Amino acid sequence: MPARIPHVPAWFIAFASAALVLAACQNQGGTSGSPGASAPASAGATESAAANEPNELTVLEWSGYEAPDFWTDFKTASPDTAVDFEFGISDADILSLMEGGSAADIFHFYTGWQQFYVDEGLVQEIDTSKLTNWDKVPDAFKAMGQVNGKQYYLPWDWGFTSILYNTSKVSGTIDTWNALFNQSYAGHISMWDDGPAAVTVSSYIHNYDETKITADQLAAIEAEWKLQKPLNLHYWTGEYTDFCPEVQSGDIWVAYAWQGCYATVLYDQSQPVAYANPKEGRNSWVGLYGISANTESYDLALKFLDAKLAALTCGNAVTLFYYGCANQEVMNAIEDPVLIQAFGIDDPSILESTNFTPPVTQKQRDDWTAMWARVKAE
Amino acid sequence: MLGRRGSLWFLAVPPYLWLIALFLMPLGVVAAISLLPGSGRIDFSGGWPSLNQYQQVLETPAYLRRLGISVGMAFVIAASATILAYPIAYFLAFRARQRATIFLVLLLVPFASSYLLRVMAWKLLLGREGAINWVLTSVGLVKEPVGLLVYSQAAVVITLVYVWIPFAALPIYAALQRVDRSHLEAAADLGAGPWTRFGRITIPLSLPGVLATFFMVFIPTVGEYVTPSLVGGIDGLMYGNLIQDFFTRAGNWPLGSAMAVLMLLAVLILVTLALRLVDLRRVAP
Repeated sequence: MPARIPHVPAWFIAFASAALVLAACQNQGGTSGSPGASAPASAGATESAAANEPNELTVLEWSGYEAPDFWTDFKTASPDTAVDFEFGISDADILSLMEGGSAADIFHFYTGWQQFYVDEGLVQEIDTSKLTNWDKVPDAFKAMGQVNGKQYYLPWDWGFTSILYNTSKVSGTIDTWNALFNQSYAGHISMWDDGPAAVTVSSYIHNYDETKITADQLAAIEAEWKLQKPLNLHYWTGEYTDFCPEVQSGDIWVAYAWQGCYATVLYDQSQPVAYANPKEGRNSWVGLYGISANTESYDLALKFLDAKLAALTCGNAVTLFYYGCANQEVMNAIEDPVLIQAFGIDDPSILESTNFTPPVTQKQRDDWTAMWARVKAE
Repeated sequence: MLGRRGSLWFLAVPPYLWLIALFLMPLGVVAAISLLPGSGRIDFSGGWPSLNQYQQVLETPAYLRRLGISVGMAFVIAASATILAYPIAYFLAFRARQRATIFLVLLLVPFASSYLLRVMAWKLLLGREGAINWVLTSVGLVKEPVGLLVYSQAAVVITLVYVWIPFAALPIYAALQRVDRSHLEAAADLGAGPWTRFGRITIPLSLPGVLATFFMVFIPTVGEYVTPSLVGGIDGLMYGNLIQDFFTRAGNWPLGSAMAVLMLLAVLILVTLALRLVDLRRVAP
């Protein structure tokens, strides 16, 4: 007679489950701290506070930014500080991780999401008086990190978004975002897989106010991107995984792109490419660092952020990632002709006509991402 | 020491705990999140439970259509993987003899490499500059590289079938090993040819393994999102990609959770119906 699986009493299962969950929760300790705390005021108090801080930092970063090149000045100045990295895969993911109680002392995200962290008490003000490199940051970038007049974030990396196109496949010059909807390039277009980006492009084309998109406008945007969908080779997600290689192989002729791939292809000369100056203006985005409201290492975090703006670290972002850096002295010192071309440094009018990504509200984020999901699901 | 009953009890508790802690409880959390009325920070204090998210999914035909497409693709992938894995399993069970272990190890060698690397390898093979297009253009079968091989539904199907074949062969191999060889000998003695023995004895006796393989491939493939995002392009998108987008790009966990729960229910209903239609007691002696 085959052996029967024994009946396990329900009370035992419930007790064991609860014990497992409690044991797991016990080891999760967030650091204590009051959300939305302001920066400490006196230097004396701060120095004694710094001496009491743990000599370790956790940074919530994007994959690739953990490379020592992108925090080399801090590594040199504080060789004994243990720096650990956690990773997020998108702005939404990073916000979710912070909301979920990440122990990160510092987090990195991109423009559009500033308000969420402040509203939820996840970030604290940056004491800019302690940043030795702060005066090298242009006021326009500083403003990107301000919410309600307070400096919550430190701008670091930045870049343009425009149309990258293959000049051997495209006749003439592209000077409008409408090129992404051009049937002539069917099968060789690639749009970034992002709903808010799609809304942004349509706003530029139709001169909508990006901060006040109406329901009718959103419906029209959805309809035009559904028509545009068959023109794409694919929606790209990773700049150097499924986008730039396709540009280099010549499969993508016209694309929504950041300047990183533009510089890459200029360097390797795999394809003749150009980066459009649309009449509607380019878009620009800025990477921002915030200090967690719950950190126990506030002054160490400030040192880390100050070091991010230092010449070598900032310079590495420019020369290794082909992204701009908020230290204007570093940008002014660029002599590489490829980087000058990629950043449009020799054309000051480009920045003047550039549209910076505005913050989005929760409802906008929900509506625009749901719109994009419907476009993709169609 | 524990006695027979005690030993069985002792052995059964860990898998129960594992299932409860790492399957049922997370599933419960997902279901609970799906009943939140809005998006944003997870907060059960106001308006919970609510069917808002389910209403939003069910009122969006595009989501349901994509679920249907995903089920169809998963069916094709599961059927193809099962059919292609059967000869491999048959060879291991009936022909490999003393070398069966070596061949089994060779079958499992791909698992030593990263899943992502294997998928990326297919991207290289199927790409316009890839090996397949190179052969086709070199031989003169096509003048221009075939763009449809990659970033298409076909690319997703080909890649997933390739990934699943080693997995699929194992349950079929286990079922074929249990086939009593004396049945085959008796059939041969009675004049049955090899194909008759294969069709009347081997296949029916291996059907439990075949069906286990089919469902083992079908169920997780419905929610697949990694391979479609790498090689699927705009047409090869699957329902799992939408769920992933709502979790990782939109930060809308409630809507993503509702979509996941609906997918789970759809798969449960389909599998239940399929098991009722295919009565193993009638097809497998």
